[in-house]
Amino acid sequence: MSKLFNKIRIFIIELGWPIGISLAMLVLWEIAVRELGIRSIILPPPSEIIDAMIQRHELLLAHLWPSLYLTVLGFALSVVGGMAVAVLITYSSILRKGFYPIIVVSQVVPKIAIAPLFIVWFGTGTMSSLLLAFLIAFFPMTINSALGFQSIDEDIHRMARTFMGTRGQIFWKIRMPNAMPYIFSGMKISITLAIIGVIVSEFVASQEGIGYLIKLAGGLLDTPLMMAAITVLSISGLALYGLIVLAEQRTVYWQTPTDMSGGAGG
Amino acid sequence: MRAAILPTDTMSAENSRQHLSPPVLRIKAVRKLYRELEAIRNVSLDVAACEFVSVLGPSGCGKSTLLMMVAGLIDKTDGEILINGTPVTGPRPEVGVVFQQPVLLPWRTVLDNVLFPIELLRLPRAKYVQRAMELLAMAKIDDFAHRLPRQLSGGMRQRASICRALIHDPSILLMDEPFSALDAITRDEMGVELLRIWQANRKTVIFVTHSIREAAFLSDRVLVMGRRPATIIEEMTIDLPRPRHIAMMEEEQFNQHVRKLRKAIEASHV
Repeated sequence: MSKLFNKIRIFIIELGWPIGISLAMLVLWEIAVRELGIRSIILPPPSEIIDAMIQRHELLLAHLWPSLYLTVLGFALSVVGGMAVAVLITYSSILRKGFYPIIVVSQVVPKIAIAPLFIVWFGTGTMSSLLLAFLIAFFPMTINSALGFQSIDEDIHRMARTFMGTRGQIFWKIRMPNAMPYIFSGMKISITLAIIGVIVSEFVASQEGIGYLIKLAGGLLDTPLMMAAITVLSISGLALYGLIVLAEQRTVYWQTPTDMSGGAGG
Repeated sequence: MRAAILPTDTMSAENSRQHLSPPVLRIKAVRKLYRELEAIRNVSLDVAACEFVSVLGPSGCGKSTLLMMVAGLIDKTDGEILINGTPVTGPRPEVGVVFQQPVLLPWRTVLDNVLFPIELLRLPRAKYVQRAMELLAMAKIDDFAHRLPRQLSGGMRQRASICRALIHDPSILLMDEPFSALDAITRDEMGVELLRIWQANRKTVIFVTHSIREAAFLSDRVLVMGRRPATIIEEMTIDLPRPRHIAMMEEEQFNQHVRKLRKAIEASHV
């Protein structure tokens, strides 16, 4: 019980201030828009955005699902692909020497700029969105995983060898768990990038998705709908990010000092 | 049983070892070159079953290299290393190694770390859980079996790593300056603990250290290694009675050994 209370206390201390300040800003926004008589096309007050979210939730959700679906799928592909390439880089010195510099240099290319090219190659629609999300999320995944697989302590490697550990055992029992913190850092970057990839692709050419809806609402000067869509998108992004953080805390349990109270002294 | 190791009769130590049991470890004229640099020159050494032998030398003299060659992790340039009569070509299951650092896997509990060699050697884990718990109890850390390494002190972690080295019941325990990362007080305690564990388990121990007092306190025999190229310059039998206690470090007999070893090391610096 006391543990639960403690958690709630920490939660309030950690989140109380940011939530409080956000609410204060929303109230200020509401008052300012009303008092100054700013038109809703320029800047709708929060109440109107919330109203749009409630009134048109069916439309918003109908466009949210395809975007979320492509984001998650593109992200999943980038995780699998990035980790696979990282394994190759780790075990093949030729690939490491040949590809690693290319991967690092290609980071400089603003991948968003490739979106129109993808439309030319794969047409308007899901395939372009998916590929752009994958491409943009893939690099941080690869680099982080490769770093994780390669950063094992020389002593640990030696220890495993004295107990006659095979390469496979060393990979699954040492490299993989050792890489988990790095892989999760990669995932946290990749999920946000995957969202960007999908939205940009939907801006460029698409008939559905939350990016399409934002652009459409903008064209119709329906600013409350536009901002409602942005809000829904942000909340979804936050939720996806939160899921990864949750999975990270479960997986990388040895790095989060949650149980220090019972730890041993000197 | 210790008569085989500490000869009390007129026979020389060398003779008694050869007559009573074949050496568990035999190092013959071993040499190690790193390119042109000669790291180890002409080291020969026989170690009998259950003997506690220390290799004492200044830091970076190559004594760890010698140990890693016995462990099968480093290739030798010339000479022969035999364990139970067969040449060492790589890591072997009858050897357990304790490193300078505990090198525990941070994501595994202490118990799972101790059982790690069992997994690597593909032995049935269930059969060894009880043994692991017994070893942890002997090292007085069984209460921490289900804790993660970060919840243990440095001394406790090193004890866990000793348990790990013993889990598959190796006949030889190789220890590479295992207590050098610990503070002085913990270090003395760990020495006593190690002797207790050693006496209960009857292993052959090769213990590499740069501490003269530690070598004298723990060992049946101390081999002094000089600087590069490293070779054995002095061999000394420590005939202090067992079991040994920390109080013995104050006694004249102990200090005589320490002085002699120090002289041998200083002579090598010339």
